[in-house]
Amino acid sequence: MKIFSKFSGFFAILAMMVLTLVNSSCQNNASANQQAESGQKIGVLLVNHGSRSATWRQALLDLETSVKDKIMADGTVKGTKTAFMEYNEPSIATRLKEFDAEGYTDVILVPIFLTVSPHTFDDIPTIIGQKEDPHSMEALKIEKIERYTPKARTFLAPNLDFTDIIKKNVLARVQKLTKDAPNEGLVLIGYGDESYDKEWGALFDQVAEYVKQEVGITAHSYGWCGHIAHYDPQKTTDAIQKVLDTKKQAVVVPVLVAHDEMFQVKIIGDGINKIKDNQNRVYYKPDAILPDKNVEQWVVDITTEFVQKVQTAQKNS
Amino acid sequence: MKFLGWDTKKIRRLNLATHRDLGYFFSSLILVYCISGIALNHVDDWNGDFIIKRHNIALDKKYQPSEINPQTINQISSKVEEKKYKVYDFPTPDQVKIYYDNSTMHVYLNEGRAIYEQVSKRPVFYQFNVLHRNSLKGWKWASDIFAFLLIVITITGLFILKGKHGIKGRGKWLIAGGLLPPIVAIIIQALL
Repeated sequence: MKIFSKFSGFFAILAMMVLTLVNSSCQNNASANQQAESGQKIGVLLVNHGSRSATWRQALLDLETSVKDKIMADGTVKGTKTAFMEYNEPSIATRLKEFDAEGYTDVILVPIFLTVSPHTFDDIPTIIGQKEDPHSMEALKIEKIERYTPKARTFLAPNLDFTDIIKKNVLARVQKLTKDAPNEGLVLIGYGDESYDKEWGALFDQVAEYVKQEVGITAHSYGWCGHIAHYDPQKTTDAIQKVLDTKKQAVVVPVLVAHDEMFQVKIIGDGINKIKDNQNRVYYKPDAILPDKNVEQWVVDITTEFVQKVQTAQKNS
Repeated sequence: MKFLGWDTKKIRRLNLATHRDLGYFFSSLILVYCISGIALNHVDDWNGDFIIKRHNIALDKKYQPSEINPQTINQISSKVEEKKYKVYDFPTPDQVKIYYDNSTMHVYLNEGRAIYEQVSKRPVFYQFNVLHRNSLKGWKWASDIFAFLLIVITITGLFILKGKHGIKGRGKWLIAGGLLPPIVAIIIQALL
């Protein structure tokens, strides 16, 4: 008894931990049981843009591998898959057909896209039958992107800019590159978008302001390397030159989802090469947002949030 | 005269016939690819696939996102004489996009303006571009065969004439001249 009283605090904590575990396990089982009773089967589809670069695609496949177990841990979500919107199979339509064939009743689509663009706002909803955007429908036909309205209900999660993930991600990458913050300017290079140029600019300004405040850099600029810039390296050069007009060095960060040789090496790399004395004046690493533990956690969190929405929708129906 | 055991006269006749008949056969497809090639070259400046008509619409007032409901969407739609919308959605908190049968309207709520967009296929160019871009399932193989036979047409064309107008005469200089633009372009690209 003496021993018990000596370690009573320890036993109390142990008991609490066991109870919490049991309770959580019961809740999870209850949720999974409820699902089983209602015949509901929830799947998660991580949707990305797709790329001709195998490195790019692998980074997105690795993302699914990293989050799969966590998403499926409590048994509510029965399966996860990855789909490429363009260029590659498995496409979104292919994956939705698979979900249908496997008897899924609800599919949560998590777009791994930076911010708003016609891809996330028009193309993906049009592909899955939530919208019928006339421009998207014709463009998808030309691009040979199949549209498929699944039997399962679909739920579309928000983009990455929904939280401060991008800010934290860019900050961490800048911290690895910066050497003398007061004499450096920050240059962010992103894909860009014609339809939402203002929103993209605002996002990049927000990210840059956050990083500047944290690191002590005082100047920034941004440039686009995607279709809006006709994939022209000169736009990268111009953005770098803008900060080099007032600063000694430029810290260049590609704000792109994953590494694609065409973008990080060719377009941005060629843009940097045009800068005089670039070896001493430009700090650059051809990396990308992925891999990032925060992105992984965000995918898990947003999925959990949407699972609750799906269950509520099921109850209401 | 013999070449690898073949009568050269016969080879020449076969060469000419091959060049002539393949040329006739593929003339329309060559035109399709050339016309769409010009269109696709200028794709950043001119949309060969679609005619997109954009109209700037001034709304009667600025809107708060909380004011947007089916009734206000119908009111806004009446400005462009659209009677029935399919769905509407918010790309950002201060913008709403309304979808109709063959058009959309992007409304900037706090600016009191909208862009009404109508999309239609550009006749002829759309269809030509579909072929050029292999947007048709299976067309890749047809275009591969076409590309291979274009090589045949080109090579047979080199040996049609003999003498001073043939490949041994002015032909060789013109071939060399034709090689210059791509070589110069590649050198410039490498230097820049």
